[in-house]
Amino acid sequence: MENSLQQLGLFEKVSLALRFAMREMRGGLRGFYIFLACVALGAAAISGVNSVSRSINQSISSEGQSILGADVRFEIENRRATEEEVAFVQGLGDVTAGSNLRSMARKPDGSDQALVELRSVDDVYPLFGELVTEPALPKSELFAKSGDAYGAVVAPLMLERLSLNIGDELLLGDATVQIRAILIAEPDALSEGFGFAPRMMISNEALENAGLIRNGSLVEYSYRVDLNGEPTLSDLNAVRALAREQHPDAGWSVRTSRNAAPALTANIERFSQFLTLVGLTVLVVGGVGVGNSVRAFLDSKRGVIATFKCLGGSSRFVFGIYLAQVFMIALFGVIIGLVIGAMLPFITASLLSAALAIDISASIYPSALLLAAVFGLLAALTFAILPLGNAGSVPATALFRQWNLGQSGWPKPIYTVMALAFAALLAWLVIYTSDNDQIASLFLGAVAFSFIVLRVVAWMVQWIAKRSPQVQSTPLRMAIGNIHRPGALTSSVVMSLGLGLTLLVALALIDGNLRRELSGNLPERAPNFFFVDIQSSEIEGFETLINEVAPNGKLVEVPMLRGRILEFNGTELKDLDIPPEARWVTRGDRGVTYAQNLPENSVLSEGEWWAPDHSGEPLVSFSAEEAAEIGLKLGDTVTVNVLGRTITARIANFRLVEWESLSINFVMVFSPNTFAGAPHSWLATLLESDASPEQEGEILRAVTKAYPTVTTVRVKDALDIAERLVGQIALAIRAAAAVALIASILVLAGALAAGNQTRRHDSVVLKTLGATRRTLIRAFSYEYMILGLSTAIFALISGAIASWYVINQIMNLPYSVLPDVAISTLLAALILTVGIGLVGTWRVLGQKAAPILRDL
Amino acid sequence: MPQTLIELKNADLTLGSEASSVHVLKSMNLELNEGESAGIVGPSGSGKSTLLMVLAGLERLDSGEIHIAGSAIHEMTEDEAAAFRGRNIGIVFQSFHLIPNMTALENVAVPLELAGEKNAFEKAKEELVAVGLGERLTHYPSELSGGEQQRVAIARALAPSPKLLIADEPTGNLDGDTGQQIADLLFQKQKERDMTLVLVTHDPSLADRCERKIGVRSGEIEAYSEAAE
Repeated sequence: MENSLQQLGLFEKVSLALRFAMREMRGGLRGFYIFLACVALGAAAISGVNSVSRSINQSISSEGQSILGADVRFEIENRRATEEEVAFVQGLGDVTAGSNLRSMARKPDGSDQALVELRSVDDVYPLFGELVTEPALPKSELFAKSGDAYGAVVAPLMLERLSLNIGDELLLGDATVQIRAILIAEPDALSEGFGFAPRMMISNEALENAGLIRNGSLVEYSYRVDLNGEPTLSDLNAVRALAREQHPDAGWSVRTSRNAAPALTANIERFSQFLTLVGLTVLVVGGVGVGNSVRAFLDSKRGVIATFKCLGGSSRFVFGIYLAQVFMIALFGVIIGLVIGAMLPFITASLLSAALAIDISASIYPSALLLAAVFGLLAALTFAILPLGNAGSVPATALFRQWNLGQSGWPKPIYTVMALAFAALLAWLVIYTSDNDQIASLFLGAVAFSFIVLRVVAWMVQWIAKRSPQVQSTPLRMAIGNIHRPGALTSSVVMSLGLGLTLLVALALIDGNLRRELSGNLPERAPNFFFVDIQSSEIEGFETLINEVAPNGKLVEVPMLRGRILEFNGTELKDLDIPPEARWVTRGDRGVTYAQNLPENSVLSEGEWWAPDHSGEPLVSFSAEEAAEIGLKLGDTVTVNVLGRTITARIANFRLVEWESLSINFVMVFSPNTFAGAPHSWLATLLESDASPEQEGEILRAVTKAYPTVTTVRVKDALDIAERLVGQIALAIRAAAAVALIASILVLAGALAAGNQTRRHDSVVLKTLGATRRTLIRAFSYEYMILGLSTAIFALISGAIASWYVINQIMNLPYSVLPDVAISTLLAALILTVGIGLVGTWRVLGQKAAPILRDL
Repeated sequence: MPQTLIELKNADLTLGSEASSVHVLKSMNLELNEGESAGIVGPSGSGKSTLLMVLAGLERLDSGEIHIAGSAIHEMTEDEAAAFRGRNIGIVFQSFHLIPNMTALENVAVPLELAGEKNAFEKAKEELVAVGLGERLTHYPSELSGGEQQRVAIARALAPSPKLLIADEPTGNLDGDTGQQIADLLFQKQKERDMTLVLVTHDPSLADRCERKIGVRSGEIEAYSEAAE
């Protein structure tokens, strides 16, 4: 026996620890169900969310051609391609040309009208995929002119809104269209972006004859190309490069089938990252449960641990045995989670296919599963290390002295270092796998801060309980005593429920504030209508009409031109590093205007407004927030292309723009001399806060009848659609928050169950001393109530701060704490703590004292 | 001439925090030879079990020295002491302290495995056969009687062939007949292997079977006598 454990090699030591761990696990998983559930839930959430998002994005990229309807799509705003440009595009392969715009479709008798997302196509459309209509007619019949009317295909919603049937006619600008079929599937709809109104599809010829395209009209012209064959990525990039080289000033956006729906793909990525953070919260909340389970398990193993030590096992070896065991159980939990996560794309495929109008093909995504597995194991280890470290410090003398079997204090520093190292690795992985380092860091900071604050809250509750004056009521006195005595539930209940409830409050308040902003607050300040594409020749008549139909309304009209930013300070955009949050300003055509005076809804933040008769160098007023993001200073120059003219203007001042007011706002307002004599259209808003829906209908009818080519957007309709979209996203967020709450409840149940052993002892002793069951139930209820209330108050405060940050600081929207959220949070916390607590204690109370006393 | 196996010099130990501290061992001195048996007796709280823990290297002295087989275990770290214990000291407890999820054979093999013994299971089996449990190898502790559990514990203590066997009330949880059998087994093995046996007991007849009887009271050795035998 000259050998010893110290002389064994690392491999032998590890295999010995594993062997002992396997033997120890013969006792089954009792005491680990909460642990397993927490790890499985977190791993399922992360692997599920990532697998689903990958299945969507993979489907988008594999069906790129039909989603884009082309190998390459050239899109130009507000002008047709020149002959040279068309020739260039046609030289690449087969081409289908079309256009998109918003317009008004009205019934011939003038009784009703609706905004439509109009799309015109040619005979060869679609190059890829299939246009599905009901009834299925050949294209020649769908769109051809028959009598005076051109054929049109409309979305079912359109028929519903205007109570129409197939065969009915509508007026579109100066043209008459007849509805020939309902649109079932538009193959390239996904790459067309988000529509505010139902789709109407007509022929290019019909659009031409409708007279809707006039000076300043907002039209997108697209040229979709089939390169013939199976173009590779480098072929597609070569086309893009050639277009840039041969037509550098075309200003067209070139999109290829490899990146058919970039906005959607980016949104799905962003959303899945957000949900991954929620999944991580589940793991962190679950981590509290993991820590509790490991602590309770090791407490029950203290005798065995001491025996190992008596027989020659070192503390480190004992740590190794139980680390191996915890790792294996965590791995088991992770595997359960991964199985659920891997199934999720298959379960949701048909649902998503319908919602996104593309074929979602589900598969197993090893990288998504691996990510969840690593997150799951790291989170479990981070929370298990400290209790495991404590196991190593169980003294062997515990076997001789029963009183030494109690919990020892903080483990050796090495274990704290290990726990911190795992936490740091987890944090690094969160940041590394996230697209937005700032949000990921903010999330991690918030979680760390919440942990510290929750500890402080638990400590404060105990501190207050300890110092509270003697109360008359015996049950209340017992409850207060239970809150601060050694081994109290306070810390574990506050920790387990606090984080999940905070997340729930934060998400509920964000959702509530967004909804309130969309449906409650805005319409009071926002205009009722936007009128787009009013020609200069029509503006006087338009004003007269509005004065007649809405005498109390406030009409605001501004000149409107379309322009594209080319350079800042003489440097081309492509050579500048524009931050992502400001890229929308420089992407494509923007509406620009000119004004003699500072617009009403703006406040000058820097510089001075020009004289009304300014006639020198063109000047521009830039929106302060966007200018700061781009890094512009007073006196810098902006070069824009407006109506084919290149104009350089100097920044004379910055304006604070309140975008969410929904009134007319422009990033750039030029001095009037900049566009002297240039043709332009007008944009107008009408605000009549007292208008009833019927009055709004009358205004809409009158304008559409008199000015069929003016597009009227009813703000309430647009907001309805936005609200519906927010509603769908909110549903997904709520589902995610519900998972976090389930984790919280599991952990809470575990924490309360752990306290039941002590409760059993206490209640039996108290019963023998004359306490009635009623007194005990009241005492326990008060205790759970105090714990639930303190946690809820913390969750309300921290959730409100987090949601305020998102709503007010990130989204720049007004914020308020919603009372219904506050009340439901308090109720939820009370129901959970008192409910789960009493369910566990009820059984304890029902037991007879004698048999338990014999066991004690 | 027998060699000294245990040498305790001026052993001093106080347990507990300041307010409730107890001076458990007061400058205690003790010497025991190889192959000798000693029974420690005394009232509850006298320091018997603490003395046993000090001898096993489980409790650190505040001052003084403790040498076992020439090794100064008071100078060892906790893990060095554990490794030393695994090779040189076997311990038998009043409550057996078998590991519930391991079979009898695995329980006996634990100290051998921890010591890196290659034939741990064969040796463990031999020990179990030697204590009369050859038929109970694959039984779990819950499937064994109290006496059988204590036999497994003795086999486990003997498995690494220790020089010192320590027993804390080895018959305390057993009925009279079974206790007698266990005591017989302990003394039989001690003689066979020429080990030093130190046991703590409240049972005068068990203490009388030892070559030396050490009376402990209030942390001091009160009586130090040759047993009646």
